Amino acid sequence: MKFGKWLKQQIEETLPAWRDKFLSYKQLKKLVRLISLAESPEFGKVDAEAEFVYLLNNEIDKFNAFFMEQEEDFIIRHKELQQGIKRVIDTWGPNGTKPSEAEYIDEMAKVRKEIVDFHGEMVLLVNYSNVNYTGLGKILKKYDKRTGRLLRLPFIQKVLQQPFFVTDLVSKLVKECENTIDEVFPVEVKEEIVKVQREAITVVGKGVFRNTVTALLSMQEIRRGSSTYGHFSLPPLDLPDSDLIHSFQLNSPIPTV
Amino acid sequence: MSSPLPALTSPFKDKYTTLPSSSSSPSIATSDMHVSALTHVQRPQNPTFISQSSRGVASLPPVNSSFPQSTASLNHTPGNEDASWSLDQLQKFLDLPENAAAPAPNQLAESGTDVMASEDHDKKTDWHEWADDFINVPDPDWSRVLDDTNVLDSKLKVSKQQPQFHQNQPAPHGEFSSNAYPSSTTPTKPRMRWTPELHEAFLEAVNLLGGSERATPKGILKLMNVEGLTIYHVKSHLQKYRTARYMPESSEGTSEKKVTSIEKMKSIDLKTSIGITEALRMQMEVQKQLHEQLEIQRNLQLRIEEQGRYLQMMFEKQKKVENEKSGAPSSALDEAPSPLSGLNHLPCNNDKSDSEALHQDKSRIGIDSGNAGSKNEKGTADVSMKQKALETESTHHVEKNDDESGFPVLKRARTEK
Repeated sequence: MKFGKWLKQQIEETLPAWRDKFLSYKQLKKLVRLISLAESPEFGKVDAEAEFVYLLNNEIDKFNAFFMEQEEDFIIRHKELQQGIKRVIDTWGPNGTKPSEAEYIDEMAKVRKEIVDFHGEMVLLVNYSNVNYTGLGKILKKYDKRTGRLLRLPFIQKVLQQPFFVTDLVSKLVKECENTIDEVFPVEVKEEIVKVQREAITVVGKGVFRNTVTALLSMQEIRRGSSTYGHFSLPPLDLPDSDLIHSFQLNSPIPTV
Repeated sequence: MSSPLPALTSPFKDKYTTLPSSSSSPSIATSDMHVSALTHVQRPQNPTFISQSSRGVASLPPVNSSFPQSTASLNHTPGNEDASWSLDQLQKFLDLPENAAAPAPNQLAESGTDVMASEDHDKKTDWHEWADDFINVPDPDWSRVLDDTNVLDSKLKVSKQQPQFHQNQPAPHGEFSSNAYPSSTTPTKPRMRWTPELHEAFLEAVNLLGGSERATPKGILKLMNVEGLTIYHVKSHLQKYRTARYMPESSEGTSEKKVTSIEKMKSIDLKTSIGITEALRMQMEVQKQLHEQLEIQRNLQLRIEEQGRYLQMMFEKQKKVENEKSGAPSSALDEAPSPLSGLNHLPCNNDKSDSEALHQDKSRIGIDSGNAGSKNEKGTADVSMKQKALETESTHHVEKNDDESGFPVLKRARTEK
């Protein structure tokens, strides 16, 4: 599948609300075509390259701003969640101020769902970062190919250092979430999971879960071997639980009256 | 990649850590100039990213006039484009803050105020040029902040947040984004990257001041006492914080409101059939996997580019040798072959180890090298195209033909591995 199309699909199916924050791949592609068509004096080419770089820089600004904004939110919410858990344990837990098993289970369930969704959101942000990086790489490659210039290599080096690409902090928060979840989930659940995995599951509607499944499948799709595979391409993706994930049949959202 | 403060992985870190201290002082003086600066879009700038390595990239023409249509959809207003920092410009102005920062430890509210006030005038003209390039924070609160120094002095001393010399890793500190690109969507503030440590400091300050409702941005700013942090940052962070706290009480915890009530019902239907906890568990598994794959992908991308950079370096080394050979044909002839053969050997070995490592990574995700091998002709074509591009711009000389045959052979040997 062509990247432009794939990108659009990704956005629409995972995070339509973030549509504007993604790479404007189509526009940039058009620009590259324009540039390559304009046969011209050296000056014109150089001029065009400046324009191109200017636009790319704008895009990167956009990513950075959005990414850091989201990151800040995540930092705050992460802390709040941790405190929330503590509160639940301290209040309704066995050693709490007003121990009550029913309440505890109830509140814990809510907290669990929050954590899992929160985890998903963060992962989607990392995905956002990755998708945009990939897009940048591709458009640069196109540019180099069309114009015979060597923009990609140095430019991508700078991109690698951009805040939106350095996702270490968000990844760290994700891992912390995973640890928290392990503590917060009851043990007996694990056996039931095995049983459930053998059934086909339908994932309903919108929601973080659907988005992450889509993102994962899309990643697999985009990384299938392509015709332009080169030194700088990523190898095809091999997911260990591919069958399970494919078994999540994605419903289209049922329109609400 | 695992530094304690992940936001500091950029090489720009050290440069930027002095930035904030200087940005605060001129902001009052130059707030007028700031307004006029924004209206001047037309100034000669080099597109930073390739200013180092590109050849003959002209300074940016008045962009907005020539690109009316295609940029329209990128939703940027013409008025606030600070296209890019040039590294040179940055260097120039970074010399200044060294002087500003040197005299006093830049604690915002302490006796440095006198220093700052007097320096304002001196720096005014210097900052003017800088202000054109840098987006200032209009800080009307500053004068009040400075006045309240004495009152809060004692509190500050009590505060554990000892500054501010960013070499102290554990101490929380503010920092600007490691790239030089100010956010074009919010032209009035330099982009700030929050960290959990910084947030902890924020929370402490808030609690000291009596909670998120009672705490004021000004008070928090002073208590936190972090270099480079502005009231604007604190304000927006406080707002986010308040939203995050009170959202869970009103509805589900996600601020993006992805799940409408109808969908909630539907998902509950689903989940009662397999148990909510199990469904959550599975969701978690999928997300975990996605994240893992993303991390692997990212690492791969980094390594690929690293290798590309290495190749490029080798390329350029070769170029240099060629040029030297052309410069001193008689005497250098004896020496020329050996560095070249040295070059021939070097990349082979290193690349082998690099591509081995890459192979390992790839096999981790279930790739066999056969796959990669068959597609390598395309890759080679890609590379030799680049080589040609480079070569058309360099001087031609006789030995070139020999080298040309040497180098591609070198490359093929590597890729066929």
